[in-house]
Amino acid sequence: MYPDKIDFSNNQRHRNARVDTLLRLDGITKDYGRLRALDQVSLTIGPGVTGLLGPNGAGKTTLIKVLLGLVRITQGSGEVLGYRLEREARSIRGRVGYMPEDDCYIGGLIGVEMVRFAARLSGLPSLEALRRAHEILDFCGIEQERYREVDTYSTGMRQKLKFAQAIVHDPPFLILDEPTSGLDPEERQAMLGRIRVLAEKSGKSVLLSTHILPDVQSVCDTVVILAQGRVEVVDSLEVLSRPASPRFHVRVLGKADVLVQRIEREGIRVQQGQDGGLTLEGADASSAGRVWDWAREAEVAIREFTPARNSLEQIFLDAVKGETRADP
Amino acid sequence: MPIHDLGYQTWEGRLVPEAGRWWVITQTGMRLAWRTRWVRRLMLVAWMPAIYLGAGFFAFEQMVAHPEIGRGIVGPLYAWSWQTGESAREMFLGNPSLARHDVWARLLLMFFRYPQGTLIVLLVGLIAPPLIAQDVRSRAFTLYFSRPLTRIEYIFGKLATLWAYVLLITTIPALLSYLLGVLLSPELNVVAHTWDLPLKIVAASAVLVIPTTTLALAISSLTTETRYASFAWFAVWAVGWVTYIVLSLTALDSGRTLDRKWTLVSLYHTLGIVQEWVFGLGPSPDFDQILPWAALLAAITVVSLVVLFRRVSAPMRM
Repeated sequence: MYPDKIDFSNNQRHRNARVDTLLRLDGITKDYGRLRALDQVSLTIGPGVTGLLGPNGAGKTTLIKVLLGLVRITQGSGEVLGYRLEREARSIRGRVGYMPEDDCYIGGLIGVEMVRFAARLSGLPSLEALRRAHEILDFCGIEQERYREVDTYSTGMRQKLKFAQAIVHDPPFLILDEPTSGLDPEERQAMLGRIRVLAEKSGKSVLLSTHILPDVQSVCDTVVILAQGRVEVVDSLEVLSRPASPRFHVRVLGKADVLVQRIEREGIRVQQGQDGGLTLEGADASSAGRVWDWAREAEVAIREFTPARNSLEQIFLDAVKGETRADP
Repeated sequence: MPIHDLGYQTWEGRLVPEAGRWWVITQTGMRLAWRTRWVRRLMLVAWMPAIYLGAGFFAFEQMVAHPEIGRGIVGPLYAWSWQTGESAREMFLGNPSLARHDVWARLLLMFFRYPQGTLIVLLVGLIAPPLIAQDVRSRAFTLYFSRPLTRIEYIFGKLATLWAYVLLITTIPALLSYLLGVLLSPELNVVAHTWDLPLKIVAASAVLVIPTTTLALAISSLTTETRYASFAWFAVWAVGWVTYIVLSLTALDSGRTLDRKWTLVSLYHTLGIVQEWVFGLGPSPDFDQILPWAALLAAITVVSLVVLFRRVSAPMRM
């Protein structure tokens, strides 16, 4: 049994979990008959916003179900917010806000009733649930539509409604499955803004499962990439974006060939792109400063000089191909 | 700070105890069912037989107080509707106060068997089909089970929705009619004669409610289409009832009486046999006499619950 108050400041176990570890999985395996959906998944995630990436069938949904205690684990153990997956699933579900990818609603209810219902299922008293539902619908940008039956909602409205249901009970940890799918560009930005507000201003931890890589780059601190039921990558976005060796992108005005020859004389490898841009590989910070001198010598003007970063798309593709592997 | 802050607010109130979460499902289910016009109409109609039940108690008590009226008018009326034979009729006409328990029990049985028995089939047929079928169709299981709610609580909440409506048209009117009969009776010893009837009302309600509602929900869980669930529900009653009637008529044609055990083909008649025993109006008070019927109702309940749990768990296994 967990304390019947959502204020966790007096909950030592949760407070520790909040500081150190959001979730910890140790050798989690999940089989559906002969199909192995998760294969020895070991993972530790701290507070913040974590992106969960993976191709279709990688095991993302199964992993989310495992975290919520909705499916029985074949092998392994784990904790979410300091609560054990095997024994304290109910406590976990009381503290997690889950936004599923699929539409899920109770036919016949209007929007505000739907959110109120979700709040009451999480334990809010009846009247307070209604007040809170209105408050959250305001936050989610659902105006008068809240008085319409949910069956009549558009895809975008349903996304916002699902998001409202996920946060109505003020959980410290949110699991959002494709929160921006089906939203127009403006609503997508608004949704990402809400996630950012929850993470930065209200200290929520978020696990964001999505296929939209720019969304991950926009809001996530950490990335987990799953492929074929295994964790291929788990690291901060900052570290992943950094190339293995220092690289710079240079765009010049003038004869690039002369500059390339000059730079290569210094032992720095240069790749010339189809768009005329140059990539300097192995150039450290000190040599970066000297590029300007070499450009002057070669009588070319530098239009752009930026440190190169790994694209998330490339990281994702490499991970799916199995070219990277998470540290144990 | 603005008067109406649209930003995110934290919430630090106290949660209600976990044990009552099923009630949220029940309340919502009841509210949704009440929005159906036909349910409201049926509920109104369903209370009318209770008026006749109360009037029956009152008329009997008046006959006890005024035997001349009873023998002249009310007595033959009761005697006409009496089905247990000459001895009871003689006792009733000779000393009505001694027959009070028997008469009241029979009036209650008739109330449960005929008007309410039919109305329940209609009411449950309106309320139960969408209860789980709609959740399966709209994938609402994810919404329920990602919250601190167990499958048992979910099923209990759905069952309680049906129980509430069924009890509203059976147990509560029966108990109120009993109370009215006691209050309007000119004799004080009416309570001493009939004290066990409220308990029998509760027992008869349980016999009626538990197997029928679990069966209705199990049918609802087997499909995503509400109309198929409705069809299957009415088919279960109609097929059993028609089969029994046809068998009875066939036996009558050939000049014999159909064996009582053939009532097992009809859920309606099976319920009748057990309720008759509950009110003490069966051929024998021994439980052995109704064992096959009670076993059938228990089997329906258990199989329906197994189906329910499997169907409710299925989407989570995928």
